[in-house]
Amino acid sequence: MSGSFSSLMSPLSALRYSSTALDIASANIANAQTEGYTRRVVDSVSVGAPGMAAMWSRYNSAVGGVEVVGIRRSTDLLLDSRVRHEHATQAFLDQRTAVLQRLESGIGEPGDDGIAAVLADLSAAWHDLANNPGGDAARSQVLAVAATLANAVQIQARNVATEASDQRSALLALVSEVNTVAEELAATNDHIVSALQSDTDANELLDRRDLLALRLSELVGAQGTVRPDGAIDIRVQGVSLVEGKNHGTMSIASGVTPTGAADGLPVSLEIDLGGTTTAVPSGGNGEVGAVVELLDSTLPAYATELSDVARLLADGMNTAHQAGYDLDGNPGTALFGYTPGDPAGTLTVLITDPRQVAASSTPGGNLGGDNALAMAGLKDAEGAYQRLVNDFGTEVSASQRLAATQALLTTQVDRSREQLAGVNLDEEMVAMVAAQRTYEAAARVMTVLDSVLDTLINRTGLLR
Amino acid sequence: MDRVGTSRVTQNMLVGTSMASLQRRMSGLASVQEQLSTGKVLNRPSDSPTDTTAAMRMRSALSAQQQYLRNAQDGLAWTGMIDQTLGSVTDQVRRARELALQGASSSMSPAARTALAAEVRQIREGVLNDANTDYLGRPVFGGTTTGPLAYDATGTYVGQPDPVRRAVADGVQVRVDVAGTDVFGDGATSVFAELSDLVTALETGNEPGIRAAVDALGARMETIGAARAGIGATANRLERAVQQNQDTVIDVTASLSDIEDVDLAKAMMDLKVQEVAYQAALAGTARVLQPSLVDFLR
Repeated sequence: MSGSFSSLMSPLSALRYSSTALDIASANIANAQTEGYTRRVVDSVSVGAPGMAAMWSRYNSAVGGVEVVGIRRSTDLLLDSRVRHEHATQAFLDQRTAVLQRLESGIGEPGDDGIAAVLADLSAAWHDLANNPGGDAARSQVLAVAATLANAVQIQARNVATEASDQRSALLALVSEVNTVAEELAATNDHIVSALQSDTDANELLDRRDLLALRLSELVGAQGTVRPDGAIDIRVQGVSLVEGKNHGTMSIASGVTPTGAADGLPVSLEIDLGGTTTAVPSGGNGEVGAVVELLDSTLPAYATELSDVARLLADGMNTAHQAGYDLDGNPGTALFGYTPGDPAGTLTVLITDPRQVAASSTPGGNLGGDNALAMAGLKDAEGAYQRLVNDFGTEVSASQRLAATQALLTTQVDRSREQLAGVNLDEEMVAMVAAQRTYEAAARVMTVLDSVLDTLINRTGLLR
Repeated sequence: MDRVGTSRVTQNMLVGTSMASLQRRMSGLASVQEQLSTGKVLNRPSDSPTDTTAAMRMRSALSAQQQYLRNAQDGLAWTGMIDQTLGSVTDQVRRARELALQGASSSMSPAARTALAAEVRQIREGVLNDANTDYLGRPVFGGTTTGPLAYDATGTYVGQPDPVRRAVADGVQVRVDVAGTDVFGDGATSVFAELSDLVTALETGNEPGIRAAVDALGARMETIGAARAGIGATANRLERAVQQNQDTVIDVTASLSDIEDVDLAKAMMDLKVQEVAYQAALAGTARVLQPSLVDFLR
């Protein structure tokens, strides 16, 4: 015992330590469900002799105490970066799969309502016309089924166009969210740097920083690097979006107009940071990457293939129809019409008068049905359409499988992170009980010291 | 994900795992339920792209076969109508020849010959009527004519001699009509001219003319018989096509059902398995999420 009262300091430090430990346990329990919360751990050291006492003095006390050196977030930079990466890929695949599935549900194959069924109906209508070339009903039926077919193709083309338009609006919203999050992250970075410099507890800010960085990864597949001062730098495809307390502004350079319309160019993004504008390379990740991929390749590819089917159908039918003769003996005219730029979206039936359907293969106005038979046998468009459905089905199922596989990986890293950063209530209960007992014991030490001092002060020298 | 190979496990991990496995069981249940309620295993192309293409091919083939069946049945109606008409024409021509044989006898009185001539005139009308027999408004011996007649009152062919065909299988077209000129001839060489000549010969008592008519009508009967045999063969061919098409329709429907339709027994088994798995997941979750150290500390 080096000094009469200095011994009281040691249990006092224990009291302080255990109340901090209790506080942290209670904070951990309170935030067990909070998104982005990382478990806090109290780091303590025992206090011994100072490394160097005052000049010309020595320290000969044997006691020390305990000191809280910091409240640590139980986290791992490497794991955090891995989590961001996997979440970016997951967001990309999920977004893409959702859109593909939506588009697929509009195809209606295999079934009685798809384009394939109408193609078969058209062939049957031509056969019926060949059986009864004089009948008005058979002639009208051919025109009606052809119109239904044109309509079905148009509806599919419109489905694709609507989806593309939805995705353009989604891209505008996503880019605006990216900018909001980037701004918030830059502000958080700023607060973290000043908090750490002034040695204030910055743990809540750090949690917030990691949460925002994760959201940016999900949005644009951003990569983050933590700087020594505690701030995080964010790059999108190698282009800086957030640098410390400065943030850039992402904008759409081409492909989508501010009103959400298409401008005919591939979608490209750029980031303006501190007055310099840098183009973001293509092939991005995250939700934005998925939307850009859909807008630039998947949706146009499907629309083009559908248009090929429409063109094949219209051209084949027209050529065959023009080789025949109608009921009045005139050569057949084009049955289907379309605008060359968008065959699937503009496919229409040009003939309105049933008498103009060219069923006969000989001129003179007779009831021959040979040309109708020839048209019933046209199967090119049907084959092309089957290939289109097959290709698209394969793409959707591949995308679903990739997303499911990625989900396993994402869940696994999330688990690893949860293992490290998650709150286990049992552990906290144990920590709480331990702190409680420490507090009780330290208080007991106080009582003993008090009684020792009482002996010294009140009983010393008394003879009784 | 099911293996917990970790040093620390938190309540959130338990909750997350429970939620994920409950979700997985639910989606398993939902997919079996979809199959059972739609009756199909192929509900969208991505369920199986290859099977989808096969199903689309089969649906197309099924539709084509059903159409071929309709075509062949329509063709059978044509051939039936033609066969029946030719039968009636044969009877009438035979009767006319019998009358000519009677009239050829030199013991016939002019009055009796006139009576025979009157009957032959009736027969000519009857044959002309048969030659203009129509099916659904089209003269069956008129080829592809748009008019209602194959022969006018003078016995001149007014049809259009293009064949009428029916497609009964991929690339197989069967001619279902008989050219009128092949049966009845045309103008001066027609059966009508032969009958008219007979009438004239009977009325004028021209015995060599009557005998010539007997020969001509005999030859005509052979022509008609040959045409009838031809149309009979066509009818047989169509019958076979109908039979074949019906068989194919059944086969393709069965194959399509194999690909598209749900195996009910298997789906029910799957449903049961998924149900048990779901209940197990629910029970496990209820057990694992309940206790905590809080329950045991005072």
